[in-house]
Amino acid sequence: MIRSLCITLALCLAFVPARARAEQDEGELAAEIALPDQGHHWLAEKPVGTSVGPVSQEMLDRGASDPSRWLLYGGNYRNFRHSPIAALTPASAAKLEVAWAFPSGTTGQFEVSPVVYGGVMYVTSSYNRIFALDAKTGALLWRYDHPNPKNLRLCCGPPNRGAAIAGDLVLMATLDAHLLAFDRKTGEIKWSVELASYKEGFSATSAPLVVGDLAIIGIAGGEYGVRGFFDAYDVKTGARAWRHYTIPGEGEPGVETWAGDSWKRGGAPAWTQGAYDAESDTLFWATGNPSPDWNGDDRAGDNLYSDSLLAVDPKTGKLKWYFQFTPHDLWDYDGNTQLFLVDTVVAGKPVKAIAQANRNGYFYLLDRTTGKFLRATKYLEQVNWATIDPVTGRPNVDPKALPGEDTTERICPSNLGGMNGAWTGAYNPELGLAFIPAVEACQIFAKGIAVYSKGMPYLGGLPDTLDANEGKSYGTFSAIDVATGAVRWVYKDRFPLGGGTLSTAGGVVFTGNLTGDALAFDSKTGKEVWRFRMGGGVRSQPIAYQLDGRTYVAIASGSFSALDAFMGGPKNTTEGGTLFVFALPK
Amino acid sequence: MSRLAVLLAAGAALAVAANCAKPEPAAPKPSPAAVFAGDPAAVKRGKSLFIGMCGAYCHSLRGGARGDIPDLFDCAWKNGGSDEEIFRSISQGVPGTRMDPFSGVLPDGDTDIWKLVAFLRANSSCAKL
Repeated sequence: MIRSLCITLALCLAFVPARARAEQDEGELAAEIALPDQGHHWLAEKPVGTSVGPVSQEMLDRGASDPSRWLLYGGNYRNFRHSPIAALTPASAAKLEVAWAFPSGTTGQFEVSPVVYGGVMYVTSSYNRIFALDAKTGALLWRYDHPNPKNLRLCCGPPNRGAAIAGDLVLMATLDAHLLAFDRKTGEIKWSVELASYKEGFSATSAPLVVGDLAIIGIAGGEYGVRGFFDAYDVKTGARAWRHYTIPGEGEPGVETWAGDSWKRGGAPAWTQGAYDAESDTLFWATGNPSPDWNGDDRAGDNLYSDSLLAVDPKTGKLKWYFQFTPHDLWDYDGNTQLFLVDTVVAGKPVKAIAQANRNGYFYLLDRTTGKFLRATKYLEQVNWATIDPVTGRPNVDPKALPGEDTTERICPSNLGGMNGAWTGAYNPELGLAFIPAVEACQIFAKGIAVYSKGMPYLGGLPDTLDANEGKSYGTFSAIDVATGAVRWVYKDRFPLGGGTLSTAGGVVFTGNLTGDALAFDSKTGKEVWRFRMGGGVRSQPIAYQLDGRTYVAIASGSFSALDAFMGGPKNTTEGGTLFVFALPK
Repeated sequence: MSRLAVLLAAGAALAVAANCAKPEPAAPKPSPAAVFAGDPAAVKRGKSLFIGMCGAYCHSLRGGARGDIPDLFDCAWKNGGSDEEIFRSISQGVPGTRMDPFSGVLPDGDTDIWKLVAFLRANSSCAKL
């Protein structure tokens, strides 16, 4: 009996696994990340964008005020992402139609905020492709695919959030931590510099910010134990003008906020773009989490200047003042979400302020002249990790929120936020409203062993994404009154929101969701006025422009399914980037 | 299936049958992970290593694939499911993916990798079959 059973089992084992093995072999051959074909560099057949001269500082100072252009990632140096186009109203937005579309040919999140100048749109995609497109037709004019190595150190996907433009150059930072400058008319590479070695955990994903003669770019790597920094490079030559380490070195003030030599691998990356205040000639840059993310045992102290806002002299990079949002962060609450340089009124007095929807769930207002804390209010529905001291702005952390080996507490917001530096909000100065897309989710923050090895993940814990796993995470798009911190209206989405935002003078505000819908709302009321299914989840930063009397809105679709799953996004979307450009009817 | 494959399969079947018939089959040497599987402290260390090194923006502690990230608890191993093959994937990484090589990284070297394998085994849905 036993022998016959053995023979039967043996026959099954012999035949069934043969097929399974064949399938497995196929699986082994396929890379899990399909890198795009490398090595394309197509120069323009003839110079493009020649109807205009070089981009001047005066043009950058004016931001988006000329509707034929979109020059800066933040729309203007104050990061309003507010278009002056009055024709984009709640009524007209409902009539938007597709003018053209363009596939990036890449997977991964398509986080771009396009640049438009001289009738040419400069679009960067995941994996560092950059395309120059005819902004009216979508025709490809020149293209460069950066030959990224295959052993990149990417915690969270392969995005790029956009190019910068200055003079006759277009600049793109890369996943292998380089900064490249292209001739905007031909696509020719004018210079390339290495910011740091990607093999040590560095990468760059944000759009550079040009102020005067300098292009400022920060570095990512907070999940790899890097020592964060942001740099300024001479736009014309690529020569480095200064480097600002976000963690003080030996003997410098603030290094005492790190136990032992933990400052050397303390993270505090600067992976998002800052803001610039021309009036006070101050550059504002914000920083990310200390490393390792979820285990602070070896880095006792406040860990300056992680999760902080830094005010620096743009010509020298010297620190003027700082404010730290989340001292000794144990939740990955990067302090580097979008900075709005707003002029508002607090307690009856006009204030030149900085407003920020921080990843930690609080909407901050600071005096941008001194860094003084003015106010923090919750902008999410679920925040339980800490309250904020109303005088100092320092968090009073609930002990239950501390990561632990066997903790079962659900802590909010999630490690991704709230708001997140990977996407943008917008500010309508006429209404005094900031529009903030966010994740609503709670998690168990589990603590584990942290091991540092150069170029390897340095995490020390695991955000156990229970809400996401259980389908409980969702998205909010909130209009926040900057003067009071009150939430005026909220749109709720079935899934967390991770797309950027565009506001218009005509009173409509655009964003997108992970389902793949481009969305528009009445800025005053929050009433949804338009929805268009683009297909891929929206992680991009929408812009608007006008050419030859026609009004356009550009929004890219294409998300990164691994991160979507981590957030709790839909399962029925696919990866692959497509830029959609909509237009008001002729 | 080709004739050769049928012959090979039948041969394999006979070989397994022959093994079944042996009164005292030679016991294969257990992998270090199999030894650690009986040691709660070792499995616990494997869990702490997994939480600290593997789970943040990557593998889920509770199973479930995430985009390019495979589920490590569902018994479907893309790169080989024996203890030794799992050890190799952790130690050498998986080229062309976000899976980094952990050889020489963990405090107790290969021992820690085997404890990681033991933790994965202990929490695999296979173990509950």
